[in-house]
Amino acid sequence: MEIIIYGIINSIILSLMSLGFALVYSISRLPNFAHGALYITAGYIVWLLVNKAGLPYLPSILLGLGATGLIGALMYRFIIIRIRGMEISEIIGTYAIGLAIIEGLRWGGLRGMTYTLPVFVQGSMSIGGVTVDYHRLIIVGAGVLTFALLFLFTRYNRIGLALRGIAQDERAAMMLGIDSDMTAIISLAIGSGLAGLAAVLLLPLGNIVVEQGYNVLIFAVAVCIIGGLGSWTGTIVAAFIIGFAQILTETFISSHFVMVVALLAIIVTLLIKPSGIFGKQKELEERV
Amino acid sequence: MFEARELMVFYENMLALNNVSLQCEKGSIIGIFGSNSAGKSTLMYALSGIILDIKKKEEMRGGERISLFGNIFFEGQDITNVKPHLRAKMGIVLCPERRRIFPESSVMENLKIGAYLSPKNDTKANIDYVLDLFPRLKDHLKRQGGFLSGGEQQMLAIGRALMARPKILLLDEPLLGLSPAYMDIVINGTKAIRDTKGISIIVTEQYARPVMPIIDRGYILENGSNVLSGTKEELLDNPDVKSAYFGV
Repeated sequence: MEIIIYGIINSIILSLMSLGFALVYSISRLPNFAHGALYITAGYIVWLLVNKAGLPYLPSILLGLGATGLIGALMYRFIIIRIRGMEISEIIGTYAIGLAIIEGLRWGGLRGMTYTLPVFVQGSMSIGGVTVDYHRLIIVGAGVLTFALLFLFTRYNRIGLALRGIAQDERAAMMLGIDSDMTAIISLAIGSGLAGLAAVLLLPLGNIVVEQGYNVLIFAVAVCIIGGLGSWTGTIVAAFIIGFAQILTETFISSHFVMVVALLAIIVTLLIKPSGIFGKQKELEERV
Repeated sequence: MFEARELMVFYENMLALNNVSLQCEKGSIIGIFGSNSAGKSTLMYALSGIILDIKKKEEMRGGERISLFGNIFFEGQDITNVKPHLRAKMGIVLCPERRRIFPESSVMENLKIGAYLSPKNDTKANIDYVLDLFPRLKDHLKRQGGFLSGGEQQMLAIGRALMARPKILLLDEPLLGLSPAYMDIVINGTKAIRDTKGISIIVTEQYARPVMPIIDRGYILENGSNVLSGTKEELLDNPDVKSAYFGV
């Protein structure tokens, strides 16, 4: 029972971490290696707003998400737009931006255990004999809500439909008047916002430490490779596979191996089915 | 209303289009005929501006060097360097070769994505218009685009292009791989679009016979050059055209 409940929670956490990365890649074919840095930036911005500016928690969160989305959009508009289409440069460029942000924060004093965000609701409850705190339940709820909203947005909204068009056939969408730079900016803004959302939901479980930025990036890349780059269904399925695999490892082997599971899963996927479970990209081997 | 003047396109040193000029008056149907590699698709890419995107992507990848010379005018404006999505906004919409339907979206969704440029009130009326034009699509509204037959995909592709409310519609090989029955539907549909909406149409095709009856003016491309042009009657009377494109 414990395995099932914590498996589901862990899977939702993983899919929240990787959703932004998957979304940007599926729409713009842009591997956003600054994803982890945006995650940690969002956490830090919210912390600053709460502790330095003295704003209440909820407005700080909303402002933090907006700011992160804006950073993503600006990142595309002023830097990535120049290297769009040069695949290796895209990876190096976004990774460099990510490194600069993370190490900049570390240099600026973001280290140690003093930076924490409070949980939304204190306390815990018991489900089938397993104690689960309210905050983790909120994470599950927020995760499901996010998937649902994204689903509706991409099916019934004009902009959302344009994003789906670009994701499926960029040039055909262009012929219908959809601007691929504009959709890339939107996708990066949404993707960064999702990284920020993951941050405000997940960071209260621990401390805001810069190393989290790297971990999140690794998890996001692992989930996307296993699910198949560019496939949303794949992302969620892969998040559940890794999520449960991690919980099983933690219960039956040792919690030291949790990170190894994700990396091992990448290697196994690349050996058996390089394009991932739901992937259509044949050029995956060349790209990552 | 729409005019290309002395278009030249090079892929590296290969000349794909050589000094091609063409004109399209409002509400007319222009046919462009030529065999494989005559430059039909390149011409369509140049007219719709997609060539600018291809050129940029190739430059970024360090691939082929594409050079483009000449001018394209639309409603008196020089649009040679206008990006493809802005040209679509001005009313130049390309329905590409091999259809390029969005395979994972349903028929309805394909049409809705096509309606990106049109205001919400128009969208419903446009969808009804497309479904009246090609009633067969009504049976498959929920089916994924990738699972349609070639003929249905072609109807959907034309319908999707119409959703963008074109003033001039570029159809690149709309009859490619279709059965004669579907050819009739597509050709009649094309004529109906011009007759009911007054949209100008430029259509390319390898095989002239099915398209000939509906065109006002035709151009014949060979190896990137425009070897012959004229009204439908002039082309039909020309003995070279007869032997090369009608097999008489």
